[in-house]
Amino acid sequence: MIQHFLRIIARQQNSFRWVSGVSFFFISLLVSADEIKFERDIAPILKERCIDCHGEAKEKSGLRLDTRANMLRGGDSGLAAVIPGNPEKSYLLEVVKHLDPDVMMPPDEDRIPAKEIHLLERWIKAGSIWPGQMATVEEMKSDHWSFQAIRRPDSPEEYASHSNPIDRFLLKRLDEDKLTFSDPAVPRSLIRRVSIVLTGLPPTLAETKTFLAAYEKDSDQAYTLLVDRLLDSAHFGERWAQHWLDVIRWAETNGSESNMYRKNAWIYRDYVIRALNEDKPYDRFLFEQIAGDSVGEGDATGFLVAGPHVPVATVGQEPAARRQARADRMDEIIQTVGASALGVTIGCARCHNHKFDPISIRDYYAMTAVFEDVEFGSRFPELAADHPRRLRGQELYGKIRKVHAELKPMGPWVEDWVGYKELHFDPVKAQKVRIKFNWGGVRLDEIEIFGPTDHGRNVAAASEGTQTFSPPEMAIARADLKHVNDGKYGTQAWGAKAPADGKSKPWIEFTFTQPHDIERIRLSTNREDFFETAYLEGLNKFNFGPYRVEIPSEEGQWKQVASTMTFDQQNKKHTSRKGLLTTLQELITLVNEEGPKPSFVARFIKPVDTHILMRGSPENPRDEVLPAGLSQLGGDLNLRTNASGPKRRAAFAQWLIKPSNPLVPRVAVNRIWHHVFGQGIVTTTSDFGAAGTPPTHPGLLEWLAAEFMQPASRIARSNETQAWSIKHMIRLMVMSDAFRQSSAPGKEGITADADSQLLWRYPPKRVEAEVIRDSILQASDTLNRTIGGRSYRIHNVKKRYAQWKVTDNHGSETWRRMIYQERMRRVDDQMFTAFDFPDCGQVRAKRPVSTTPLQALNLMNSDFVMDQSSLIAERARQDTNDHPELAIQRCFELLLGRPPTIKEQASCLDLVREKELQLVCRAIINSNEFAFLP
Amino acid sequence: MNNPEHLSLHGRHLLDRRHFLGTAGLSAAGLGLAGLLDNEGLLANDSQTVSGELPIRPNIDPNNPYAPRSSHFNATAKQVLVVYLPGAVSHVDTFDYKPALSRLHGRKPPGIPAVTFEGPTGNIAKPFWKFNPHGQSGKMVSDLLPHLAEQVDDLCFLHSMTTNTSAHPQGENFMNTGFTMEGFPSFGAWVTYALGTESHELPSFVAINDPRGLARSGKNNFGNGFLPAAFQGTDFNSRNPPNNLHRPKGLSRDADRRTAELLQRLNAQHLEKYPSDSNLAGRIASYELAGRMQTSVPEVMDMSTESASTLKHYGVDQGSELHREYAKNCILARRLIEKGVRVVQLYNGSDPAGGNGITNWDSHSDILKTHAMQAEIMDQPTAALLADMKQRGLLEHTLVVWATEFGRMPFLQTNGTGRDHNPNAFTCFLAGAGVKKGFSYGKSDEFGFKAAVDKLTVYDFNATLLHLMGLNHERLTFYHNGLERRLTNVHGQVVSEIIA
Repeated sequence: MIQHFLRIIARQQNSFRWVSGVSFFFISLLVSADEIKFERDIAPILKERCIDCHGEAKEKSGLRLDTRANMLRGGDSGLAAVIPGNPEKSYLLEVVKHLDPDVMMPPDEDRIPAKEIHLLERWIKAGSIWPGQMATVEEMKSDHWSFQAIRRPDSPEEYASHSNPIDRFLLKRLDEDKLTFSDPAVPRSLIRRVSIVLTGLPPTLAETKTFLAAYEKDSDQAYTLLVDRLLDSAHFGERWAQHWLDVIRWAETNGSESNMYRKNAWIYRDYVIRALNEDKPYDRFLFEQIAGDSVGEGDATGFLVAGPHVPVATVGQEPAARRQARADRMDEIIQTVGASALGVTIGCARCHNHKFDPISIRDYYAMTAVFEDVEFGSRFPELAADHPRRLRGQELYGKIRKVHAELKPMGPWVEDWVGYKELHFDPVKAQKVRIKFNWGGVRLDEIEIFGPTDHGRNVAAASEGTQTFSPPEMAIARADLKHVNDGKYGTQAWGAKAPADGKSKPWIEFTFTQPHDIERIRLSTNREDFFETAYLEGLNKFNFGPYRVEIPSEEGQWKQVASTMTFDQQNKKHTSRKGLLTTLQELITLVNEEGPKPSFVARFIKPVDTHILMRGSPENPRDEVLPAGLSQLGGDLNLRTNASGPKRRAAFAQWLIKPSNPLVPRVAVNRIWHHVFGQGIVTTTSDFGAAGTPPTHPGLLEWLAAEFMQPASRIARSNETQAWSIKHMIRLMVMSDAFRQSSAPGKEGITADADSQLLWRYPPKRVEAEVIRDSILQASDTLNRTIGGRSYRIHNVKKRYAQWKVTDNHGSETWRRMIYQERMRRVDDQMFTAFDFPDCGQVRAKRPVSTTPLQALNLMNSDFVMDQSSLIAERARQDTNDHPELAIQRCFELLLGRPPTIKEQASCLDLVREKELQLVCRAIINSNEFAFLP
Repeated sequence: MNNPEHLSLHGRHLLDRRHFLGTAGLSAAGLGLAGLLDNEGLLANDSQTVSGELPIRPNIDPNNPYAPRSSHFNATAKQVLVVYLPGAVSHVDTFDYKPALSRLHGRKPPGIPAVTFEGPTGNIAKPFWKFNPHGQSGKMVSDLLPHLAEQVDDLCFLHSMTTNTSAHPQGENFMNTGFTMEGFPSFGAWVTYALGTESHELPSFVAINDPRGLARSGKNNFGNGFLPAAFQGTDFNSRNPPNNLHRPKGLSRDADRRTAELLQRLNAQHLEKYPSDSNLAGRIASYELAGRMQTSVPEVMDMSTESASTLKHYGVDQGSELHREYAKNCILARRLIEKGVRVVQLYNGSDPAGGNGITNWDSHSDILKTHAMQAEIMDQPTAALLADMKQRGLLEHTLVVWATEFGRMPFLQTNGTGRDHNPNAFTCFLAGAGVKKGFSYGKSDEFGFKAAVDKLTVYDFNATLLHLMGLNHERLTFYHNGLERRLTNVHGQVVSEIIA
């Protein structure tokens, strides 16, 4: 029987309750219907056993059994209670048979009589005939506002004198409360505000001066040019990348017990900054987050593994725990996609149908199917042919090949690739290879053997049919031989130790299925660590020492083909060898740093079938699901169960950015609005579902979403006319009168709208941790403005299961913008964590703004603030030839962008005369004015 | 907290309706919507929490987020002290007496799984220490904890605890934040969010970390998660003050005072432009509290005011170095409770990298030695703390919780000397305000392998702790990312049987 799931929405009370519906095509019934009669045989059972809780009155677990359609729909579990013709898959039978100890119906009672169960079973098998109720269920769509198509409304005509449509919408709403905009902000406040909002940095002294002069002449033109400059600034991308990284809780450590550093994860952060600076269209940007590997933007997929994860080593050995951990990792991916792009809480449907929104448990698992090939880990990201890193790699590998050619005649050599060592020797043909170690104990996670052709083919792999042997008396518990060639790197390794007699040392023998030419052997102890992490004590240690390689001669005698213990002799014999080896090692170091390198931007695995996991438990797999987007928004991707991972993700990304998906543009423009005005039009910026807040200005949100996809407004430069331009949207917002008004409180406004939600003034707000830190560095003129690259470190190199410790959070190495501070999960940086800097554990749609005495202590007493206060004071003294009054003035200008008032000047002068200028800086850094957006 | 985001779903819809109808506009928000709705009785019949009851949102004054707030209902416990034992204490070697283990020692009865957390399983092992009856209640306690054994008549044991994970960090997260995953608010953050604090000069929530360092889940155990940063635990112990507490080196007291005065003047002038802005006023208040903390925290850390007999009682000059340090932390815990700090967490163990040889209760091998070393640190000072608090009357309004993330197996690992993790049965105890004395609740099976009678989940445990603090765990919520989040997620039953 063909089932076809449709959606039904029913509006109840204050919320939407959503249930899935089923329609089906009739096929001729194979069982004679007169054997079971619904009214006679089935209705009494339902009435007696079920309807009290699952009828119109009660509807427990969202399930009703009072109509056939309701039965086919099922309840919150997402499972159909009845599937006509299929008793095995009908959940109703499962629960009345008490097969699942967690859900046994009726509850707290014995099973209903076997006879009744049998009747139900036969009735279902016969097609669940319910006279008068056999009509197809109508398909219905959610009527929740955010799921409806976007239609561009006209901006309110009566405010046509305002050129910016944003102002027209806002004024109309203000009018309803008899409010209007405040006076324009003074130019000093305006440049400070717009500079911080756009770039995260206040204006420099020179920038303020230039602007004030230009503003005198032509205020509009001066402001337009200012906005141009700020949108063009490379600091723009740094500021807005920070917002994006917050939403997806991106960090450079795993979280969890070992909380290890994610190697080169920062290339994703740089990608985001670059994309924003280039004004990459948002639809393209989103596509690359999910499927960048298929378009040469492999670094963009850092998005997929932005969330935390528990590494296998800390999950434990129990298979069920491992399955649960994988399901948790998939959930992190779904949360990332849901919160950032779709703005709905898809995670709620992990265990049952979403309580408020049209998202079923089937939708949830269909979405996990999209990401079935993603695993938390590293890979060499796919880079476009002209990517500088790729070009540099090609150049260096060319040089390495040249050195190889020169070394070849001089005998075997070993290369140290940090994560593994590679022995090179003259090609020999062999079917058996022995490696004999010189140490009494060895540990190797993998040994790989390669030939002169087919460069990447490891003939030692178990998957090649290669057999391994090592003397059983040398075996070590939990370090099985199978790990040596299972293709998996990491802590699951082979280990061996010499017997106590001291006569023999560990050795291992490989037997190929047929003879192979071989010339390279690669050994490692924990290559996973090399690929995936950094800043760990004892990282990349090799626990195997020197060794010899032997193969059997034709007579069956083992003979040596290479030894790592004869290099000194070779170096003596060939005088140029030592120099060549040094050159080679230098090239390897260079290519490891500057060439394509393993980066924590997701590892791809072969996708497996995806099943609905009942109540979210991996121990309860149900129906298989195919990769898809949200069914309510036409998410069918036409993919089969054997579709490749990249194909799944690319198809999903295409669906995501289709103009018919109204959530994506709405969520995006609202988030931009949130960062420009301090509060979203929808205040729950990552929940556009029924549990979120409705928009304060629905028409404005629609207009903005439409404008985002199809720009029509004049308020744009030629280079921002493309669709999905983030810069265009930001420009529209900051050019509005609403943005340019004063933040001073007004009596009417405060009375009617204390939160300034209606924007009768520009709402003042405490700036983020980053702005405070970056502004201080700029004031002292010590800010290193380099864009991108490795994160600056403030923590130690730690032991695997230790906590990170702050070693230096204020020295000159850290004088970069804070977006480049290594972003660690749940680690207190002893400075800005207190300022609501996210712990990067759960999705944080936006930062709370709270006040704690820890902020005060950090900002008053930290080494960072004390050092910087001296530097700012010193700069001010130099600028003013040590003139006390002018120096005070300069400190105000550097930190607050304005000269002091007469009163302030007097207070400061007293302090400077008796104490030091740096105390003035320390006070200003702590002042409310410094911490608040004007 | 007038932002509509922090209102209940119903409140938000109502707010929206008001906007839509234009009857009240946002004036509701201006006046404090929650209060307005309350007055109109509109909150009474809401049905937005899972239980069908309305969230009770603390009325937080932005000027003073730490101001004391009333509980949901009357409760004797006003403060709470959590003694947390990272690494998993073996229940079958401490408080959960299982004679069957001695009978079956060395055997492998059916039903024992082939593989547990660390790998293949070994044979049943009898308790490593002898059990004897103690107190009037005759509670069986092992010789591992002779001092706590003397307190049993004041304790309320929970023997049927179970958890959802057998990994330490997830287990710590679960016990302390109600979720195995990271990023959720800790128990202490929830309680201070709800109740504020009685102390005007100390942080509302203090985490006293072990001298060896943070536990495995680090700051997550006392973090604010998605609650405002104001409710995070402040981390210090008897040796190390909070970060940046002290006046910077090289800065005189006078210079410091003068800076503060200048700051005050700058802020006062600025406030003139924004009269009655509560965010600005709140920030000024936070500097005042920070200033008070600079005096009050060193004071509370200063043990010199303790009498010689008290110091001796806690054992600050006896036993191992770690014992002495932990003893001082116990005194600090009592002093913080005396000063009215709402939540105090006291750790007895760190992550595995923290110390020399022994860092916490994890005992996969040589449990005889490792549990003994850890018990030497914990037992005597903790018992002294309980006795001292009782003697000073502090237990009358303070709930004491002694907790670990899971238990240990009744059988050995294949190495023959250690016990693996047991998520299916473990023991915690409560004491003090609102709790029955000399009482044991729940039972594990005859081996201590699985909870058998009155099984308890971590949700039940946390629900009960909140209840004892006068808080309804189903109604203490915070709207985050589409959900009314709770410490107990959508689970948890209060264990009324243990309430005095």
